Parts: sequence; C-alpha cells; structure tokens
Amino acid sequence: MSLRSDAFETAQLPIDDIESGQSILLVGDDTTALKTVFARLVAADADERSVVLATNAGGRSIQRLLDDARDGAGSRASILTAEGPGRGADVSTIDDLKDITQVGMQFSNLVGTSQQSTARFRSGIFLCSTIVSELDDTRSVYRFLNSNFLTELRRGDGIGVVAIDRSAELETDVDSMVTGMETSFNIRIDVEQTGPQTATLHLSGVPGSEGSVDITL
Amino acid sequence: MDVIGSEPVVGVVTAYDLADGTGMDVIQAVREQTPQTPVVLFTDVSPAEIDTNSVEEVLVEYLNRDLPDATDRLGFIVNDVIDHSAQVGFLTPDNEDERLDALDQYDIDSLPIEESFERLTDLITAHFDVAVAFVGLIEEDEENFLACTGGDWDSLTREDTICTHSMLQEDVMVVEDIANDKRFNKNEQLENLGIVSYAGANMTSSDGHVIGQVCALGHEPRRYTAKEKHDLEQFADTAMEILELRQSVLDNQDVEVHQ
Repeated sequence: MSLRSDAFETAQLPIDDIESGQSILLVGDDTTALKTVFARLVAADADERSVVLATNAGGRSIQRLLDDARDGAGSRASILTAEGPGRGADVSTIDDLKDITQVGMQFSNLVGTSQQSTARFRSGIFLCSTIVSELDDTRSVYRFLNSNFLTELRRGDGIGVVAIDRSAELETDVDSMVTGMETSFNIRIDVEQTGPQTATLHLSGVPGSEGSVDITL
Repeated sequence: MDVIGSEPVVGVVTAYDLADGTGMDVIQAVREQTPQTPVVLFTDVSPAEIDTNSVEEVLVEYLNRDLPDATDRLGFIVNDVIDHSAQVGFLTPDNEDERLDALDQYDIDSLPIEESFERLTDLITAHFDVAVAFVGLIEEDEENFLACTGGDWDSLTREDTICTHSMLQEDVMVVEDIANDKRFNKNEQLENLGIVSYAGANMTSSDGHVIGQVCALGHEPRRYTAKEKHDLEQFADTAMEILELRQSVLDNQDVEVHQ
C-alpha cells in the first residue's frame, strides 16, 4: 500500500516530474493563473485519478479546468464541491464548508474509493484559504490537513496540491500562516499573474527547477 | 470512555452504529479529553448519512468498511496515525523526526539550567517591560517551560501554543494582538492565561534544528521594533549557549568518571 512508483508528469509546466508522496503548497492571488497552475498539477494522466475538493467552483467548472490541462482529465476526477449540483458518481457536494467533520470524512472516502480503480492519485484543495475563512478555529484546518490530506500522501502513490489565495481576508497574518504551512509541504510554488495569458512561477523545493520560470496560460 | 480518561491510549477505532450512541459521541469525547489521540471511524455507513450536526470541528479519519481491502487498510492506517501523530491540530516541519532527535541530545533533567534561565527570563521581562517571559522546549506533544517569569507554567499541549507556529519561521514571530489573529483567538488556554501579545525567537541547536523558543508575552497589545526583535533573538541565542555549555560540561564529567 505504501509502495512508491514512477514520478507524476506535470502537464504544460516547465518543471520536472514530481515524485510520489510530494505535497505542494500553491500560493497566489485568486486569478486565472492560480487556477490554471492548480489544474496542470492535479490533472490525472491515463493511469491516475484526481480527487479535488473545490470550495469556490462547481464540479463542471473543475472538470473543464482539468480537461484544459490534460485531455480527458475531467472524466478521471472525483470532485467534492461546495458549489453547484452533484453530477453522478464523479461530482458530489457538501452542504456547508463549516462542517469540516463531514468534509474531511467525504474527502477521505473519495481518496479511498478512487484507489480501488487505480492506485495512483493526485489530490487537490482549491482553495484552502476559503476553508480557513469559514472555520472559527484554524487548528481545525491543520487537523483537517493532517487527518485527511497529508496522511494519504505518506501512505499511497500520489501527490497533493493545496492552493491558498493570499489576497483573501483571513483575519490573520497570511504571510506568517503561509510561512508556517510551507514547512510541512515539500514544494512551494508562488504564482504571479504577469499578463492576461502569462504568469511567473517562483519555485521552492522543486528538484532541478529552483528559481523563477515564466509560463503561458 | 472511562479508560480514555484514566489510562494512556495511543489510538481509537470506532464503528458508527453503537448500542448506546454513535461513533461521533466517542470521537467527541476523545477530542475533549485527549485532543491529540488519533481516531479512525471504521464503518459501512457512508459519510453523507453520518450525523455531524451534534459535533463541532471534530476531525477524524474515515475508512469505509465496505472497501474490498478495508481490513488491510485499517491495520495500516492505525499504525500510521499512531506513528505520525497524524491528527494533531498543528503542522510540523517535514524534518520533525530529526528535530526531535536533536532535542533528545540534551539531558534536560540532569542539567543545572533552571537558575540561569530564570535570571534570563527576569532580564527579558525587564528589558521589554512585558508581563511574562519564558524559555520553552517544544517536544512531540507539548511545550515544556524550563523557566518562566510572570507565570507559573509547567507545560502546554502543543496545539495550544503559539510557539509551535513561531518555530516554523526563521525570524522572530510577533502577534501584536491575539484577539485579531484567527489562529489563536479561539484558544481558551491562551485566553485563560491572559495573553494578548506575543513575540517568540527560535532556539536553534548547533546542527540547525529549532528545539525551543524564548518568548515575551504581554497583557496588552504591542508592537516590536526591528531592534527589539534582534534583542529577543540575542536572548534566544544566549539561552541556547547556556544549554549547549551545560550539556558539554555534563558530557565531559561523564567521560572523566568513566576514565
């Protein structure tokens, strides 16, 4: 169950493949660039499955984002969304993000179920900052990440991406919070949108790809 | 539940449907009594059917009992959550194991450091004109206070401390007013202690691991200038030097005894 296999290819990003088990903290303003980079990291290849918790977007919207990142990736995704209707087995909904107990159990269940069809998975949360803003006590966010997200990466054959909107009003020192979170993640990518169709990624912890790289959206 | 309150329990596995309640009752009770004890909910009831209205922000690992490999998974998951303290309400650095090993190198109970550290925390309160100053070591589950001026503190559960956040930053972490910071303003322990402002500097071992914090706390909101942050770092470096020197003396004494 804990055997690690091949690295995970990144779609349309100028960075090396990501080793199984790696966690990625994706930080930026809530822009097209942040969504696009998230999708390119999380979009499942043919022998993989994506498991996405979407806090601010509907299931169909996430499927389209994943399809844009990699052909057919939308249909290889299990999405848990706080917005919009459910769609069959692949898009399920949560009534209230504040009910983090329910969110955590559903997310754990989706990861476990997805591994019945293929062991390789890419999990993602877009946006974790929304969860922080919804919950009264930030310790619950950390407990959620520990209990239902980071654990799966340690045990299985997968990678995980947590996106943070640094412009969100979170009633805390966002820089300090992100700096703290960074130490629990293997990789940090800061996304800076530089034009309507361009962005710069500032990379930390990406083997062979430190520094900054420009991308086209 | 009587056992959980009276004996050390490393982990709990519960079903959902129980004769006298539900698994959520068990989870809630565990979180209230020993918040860092990991719990696995092992059930064939789907998450959507589980009543979570009666609990508040109680995180748990859910494992579907109907999965073909559920039994194998359960054994694996239970070992994992115990080995990695996998459900705590704080984040740990990815080199946490090495950090704890570095902390273990100091034989704290045998070192005559208490008086030195008490003098240091006295100086810190006077220097910054704050109500409380302490030297604390951050262990796996709690922070142990080696000296504390202005408070009678022994230890705090790690997720209740600001230091477990501060230790993740290279520079001095300042919280000017805890009431305005969502990470800490629902923390009853801090509220009960009357803490309003916080500044913490890392105690970093010679091999680069952050093992503790030197902190200044106030009962009023306050800012720290760059000079004051630098001063606090100097105090933290001094605390670390005291610890290193005392440990060196003890190590040399042990060598002499053996010779």
